[in-house]
Formats: sequence, structure tokens, C-alpha cells
Amino acid sequence: MLLTSLLLIPLVVALLCLVARQRILLEALNVSGFAIGLVLGVKLFRTVLAREGAAVMEWGEFLRADALSAWMVLLISAVSLATALYAVNYFRRDLAAGAVTAQRVREFYVLTPLFATGMLLVVLTNNLGVMWAAVEITALSSVLLVALYNHPTSLEAAWKYIMLGSVGLVLALFGTIFAYAAAASPAAGMALPSFNWSSLLAMAPQLDQKLVKLSFIFVLVGYGTKAGLAPMHAWLPDAHSEAPSPTSAMLSGVSLKIAIYALLRFHILTAACLGAEFSRHLLLGFGLCSMVLAGPFILTQKNLKRMLAYSSLEHVGLICAAVGVNAPLTVFGALLHMGYHALTKPVLFFAAGNIHQHYHTLNFRRLGGGLAHIMPATALALGVAAVAVSGLPPFGLFVSELTILAGGFASGHAWVSVVMLVSLLVVFCGVLSKLAGLVLGPPRADAPPRELVTAGRVAAMSLPLVVLLLFSFWVPNPLRQLLERAANIIRGTP
Amino acid sequence: MNPPATEVASRLITLLATLMLVFQLLLVVQQMLIANIRLFALQSLLLTGIATVVACAYGAWHVLIVAVLTLLGKVIFLPWLLQRLVRRIKIEQEIHPFVNMPASMLICGALTVLSYVVARPFTSLARLGSNTLPVALALLLTGLFLMSNRRKAITQVLALLTTENGMMLAAIALTTYGMPLVVEIGIFFDVVVAVMVLGILVFRIRESFDSMDVSKLNELKW
Repeated sequence: MLLTSLLLIPLVVALLCLVARQRILLEALNVSGFAIGLVLGVKLFRTVLAREGAAVMEWGEFLRADALSAWMVLLISAVSLATALYAVNYFRRDLAAGAVTAQRVREFYVLTPLFATGMLLVVLTNNLGVMWAAVEITALSSVLLVALYNHPTSLEAAWKYIMLGSVGLVLALFGTIFAYAAAASPAAGMALPSFNWSSLLAMAPQLDQKLVKLSFIFVLVGYGTKAGLAPMHAWLPDAHSEAPSPTSAMLSGVSLKIAIYALLRFHILTAACLGAEFSRHLLLGFGLCSMVLAGPFILTQKNLKRMLAYSSLEHVGLICAAVGVNAPLTVFGALLHMGYHALTKPVLFFAAGNIHQHYHTLNFRRLGGGLAHIMPATALALGVAAVAVSGLPPFGLFVSELTILAGGFASGHAWVSVVMLVSLLVVFCGVLSKLAGLVLGPPRADAPPRELVTAGRVAAMSLPLVVLLLFSFWVPNPLRQLLERAANIIRGTP
Repeated sequence: MNPPATEVASRLITLLATLMLVFQLLLVVQQMLIANIRLFALQSLLLTGIATVVACAYGAWHVLIVAVLTLLGKVIFLPWLLQRLVRRIKIEQEIHPFVNMPASMLICGALTVLSYVVARPFTSLARLGSNTLPVALALLLTGLFLMSNRRKAITQVLALLTTENGMMLAAIALTTYGMPLVVEIGIFFDVVVAVMVLGILVFRIRESFDSMDVSKLNELKW
């Protein structure tokens, strides 16, 4: 029942929000729905650990959760809850300023739980075809969220997102079909082979090798587009910068990682059929390409949220490259990094949302500096999150990046670690120099008056940071076990 | 299941798949918007035909459900929806592609040859008709070319739909009996919802920009 209820709760919330009249009801439904989701996510985490490696299954084998899915469920529910808490004040202020209509706010509260349902279905389904359909659900619900403000630029961003996303998903479906055909070809009988990931994995050595290769390439380009891997990332900065900040947080915090998850499932399958070399080298190449490409764009970026989007590109690249190195330490580090990044990036986008609402611009030149005087609370959260996302101690991203780099050196991939280190350094300089200017620099003469913030707003914004700090110093033993188990699943050594 | 019947079915599928490709090439050269939508509907009708042949000749009855869904969705509902959209936003009928007609024909010809070359190692696996897989790949590639060669939002949507037709063809051709029903239904509804979402966006773009020319969407850079 656990997996079913995890999926049903956000879906029911979305349906209820469709008919709910008062705004306060919409807000309460979203927050409580995601809070229950997080509780169930933790419960799933404990159940999976208690099972000693066997996956939790429901509806026959249709829904399936192993350590990797349980970890993703935790990330999805944590980020959704943080987003829902922040969105309450964000949209109240937008409504008061007349930036959105009440109808659009309702749209947000209906589409966000749908978006979350899609993501949960991606990680909980066992059927690769249904996984594809779920990724498409996330794309369709988020594209309307990107277009929420209905500005010409947000429509442009939404159009690019849906067009590139759809092409990517068509390619991914081709890849999915090839994977299915690889299972169908040896058994030429009438019986349909099962499309379940677990049964494909069990018969991996008998799969048609040529088709599996073709399948992985199609899926890599397809889901890679959705994950924002370079050079298929063209939609990513547009969509992240034009979406309302809560949506940007969801997109960057988890949606990119969901696409990576889908990619990883095919990577595991391909590795089991052909050996790890083929797919891991592709992941490594695309990952490093994204990391190297992100740097120059961050250094020359003029828009705060676009800069944050390129920083997401960097982190997604790092995760992919770390999985591509395929050493136990790097894969573990990649999973840890997913978690820390999911807690940090939303705070940056929340702060950017506050800044946009106060200054009505995100252009660094027009923002000027002196954020520490004008919006002290937001500036503090932005500064701390920027230090964290740049990979400085004491924050967890430092630990996970160090783990990945050390794993790279230890497993004889010294050049990979060097490339990672150099591009991380470039991004580090870019992000910190831009944000230091914004927070500490001299304010412009025409800067807006000092912001009056409510405690609730500050709390909602910085909650993920508190959680990040907590988990930076203390990775509980069960969590470590879960991540080790997930890393073993990715490396095919259960 | 007697061999001659499947032999006939296989040839019929080859014929229908080839016709799908012919309609794709007609789409590339056809300059009128409404005619484009009708060509897409006819192409989907051919896909319905292929699914029906597969269902009847090989006794794979769940493929028949796919055929019915394709008929209702891609032959009737989506073309109706798109035509209504075209009428409601009163756009001019003529399409002005970026690349002119003869050059587009040459490019699509080259893409088709390319797909035959790429699919050669796999043709032994496609046991339904001898050329379904290359046709599916050709539909994908020419569809992608069509997308980048069109200015109007609606024509880009149509191009995307033709790549999806190619995908369904690949699904039927490669796996003999199509995919599990739950997957087929999931894909079908996703496609329908995708077009509806695209329709909403087209409508909003038309309202904001007073145009459907997506080459005017060029504010956001790097």
C-alpha cells in the first residue's frame, strides 16, 4: 500500500485543488499533501532498508522500489515540501502586486502536485514504457508552470522547453522501444516479453547486443535532453530563469535528477548486457562536456537566475561524470551530491525569487550591490547557499565533491578528476564573484527601500539550509547504508 | 496462422509503410496549412491500417485497440483540434519555410537514404515487412528536419506528430506484436495531452506576439 499511497496523495491533492475555492485551502492542501508525502518517503526508506536488498513491490511487479528509488523519493518529497512552504508567501506577494491572477495561482497549485506525481511515478514504476510516459507527464505539467507569468519571454522559454523536450522524449521512446525489441527478438514466440526493468535486467545477457547499444544511445540523447546535459541543454537556462521561483526550484532541485535516474536505469541494463565500458564512457563524456561548458557561461552571465541554471548544468554534469567513472567511491559521491544539491539549489532560487519581487529585475548590472543592506535576510540565505553550492566547507557539497574527486584519483582516472577540479574552480570563481558583488557591493543610487520581511517568509526560505547544515555534519548510518546499496545497484554489484 | 496469410500481411505492411513515407514527403513540399493537417491525418490512417493488419494477420488482438486509439486520436480528434485552432486564430494559410522546396526535397531524400543505411544491420530483426524500420527512422529524421524548417508554431507541432507516427511504426515493426497495452495507452494519452498543452501555448503565443512565427521568439539568449 505504501507505494500506491505515495503516488495517490499528490494526485488527490491536485484533483482537490482543481475544485477548491479559497486560496488558503489550496495552500493548506499542497503543504499538508507534501508533508504526508515526506513522512511516507521516510517510511519507504526504512522499509527498503529492512528488506536487506530485496525491492518493495506492489500491483504484481508494476510498482517497484529499491534503494535507488527510495533515495529519489526522499529527494522529491523533501524538495516539494520546501517548495510548497515557500510558494505560499511568494504567490501572496505576487497576487498583492498584481503580477499574477488568482486563476494562475490556482493553476500553480494544481500543476505542482501533478508534477510531483509524475516524478514519483518515474522512480516507482518498474515498467520502462510507463517510466517514459511519466517523464512526459513531468514535462507537460512543468511547461505550463514555466509559462505561468504569461510574459512574452516566459512563453518563449516554455515553447523552447516543450519543443526540445518533446524531441528528446521522442528519441527516448525510440530508445525504450529498442530496449523492448532487444528482449523480444530472441524469443520469437507469441508471448509478449515483460517490459519490467527487473525482468529485463534478469535476462540481460540474452538481450540483443546491437539493439541494446542503439537503445542506450537514443535514451542518452533523449533523457539527456530532459536532464539538461550539454550540448542538449539549450532549454535549461531559459526555462529555469523564466519560471516562477518555486517552479525553478523544483526543476533544478529534482526534475533534472529524475531524468538522470531514468538514464541510470538504462545504464544499469546496458552495463549488465554489454559490460560497463560502453555506457559509462558515454556518461563520462557527456558529463565532463556539461561541466566544462557551464564555466564560461557562468563567468559571462548577466542574469541571476540564468547563472543559477548554468550552475545546475555544472552539477548535473558532475553527477553524470562521477557515475561514468564507475568507482564505488565516485558513484556513492554522486548520489550524495544529488541530495546536497537538491537541498541547496532551491534556497538559491527562493532568494532569487525574493530579489525579483523586490527589485523587479534579475540583471546583475541593474541590481547593483548592497543586498546585505536592502534585503538582509535574503542576502544571508543567498550568501550561505552560494558558499555551499560553490563547494566550500563546512557544507555537504564540499564532502561529496571531495569524495568524487578522490574516487577519481584512486581509481586511476586522474585526468577526469583534474578536468572536474578545473571546471569546478571556474564555476566557483564565477558564482562567488557575481554573488559577492551583489550581496556586499555598493548599492545603486536608485535601489529600492529596505525590505520588510516576515519571520514566516524567512523560515520557509531557509528551512532547506538548516537541513543541509544538519546533514553536512551528520550522515546517519541508515542513510549511508541506503546510499551504499543504491551505489551497488548502479554499479551492478548487488 | 498459415504462412501465405502472413506473407500477404507482410507485403501489405511494407506497402502501407512506404505510403507513410510518401505522405511525409508530401508534407515537406505542401505549402498550405490545412492541407498539411489533412496529410498528417491520412498518414495516421495508414498507421491505423498497419496496426489493423498486424492485429488480424498475427492474431495479436490488443494491437487492434492501438489501431482504434490511433484512429480516434490521430486521424479524427487531433486534426479536428488543430483545424479548429487554425480557424480560431485566423492565421494565414501559406507556410513560409526557411529552406525552399527543392532543397528540402533533396535533404529529405538524403535523410531517407541515411536511415536505410543506418537500419541495414537491424533489418533482419524487423520481421514485419522488409522496410518498416528504415521507414520509421526516415519518418523520425525528416520529421526533425520539418520541425526546424517551419516558422509557424502549429506546423512544428505537426512535424513533431509525424515523428511520433514513426515511433509507433517502429514499435509495431520491431516487436512484432506491439508493446504491452498499458504502455501503448500511456503513450497515446501523453501524445493527446501534449498536443492540447501545445495548443494552449500556441494560443497564448498568438495573443502575446500577435503572430505564430516562432522565429520571432528570440529574446532569450545564452
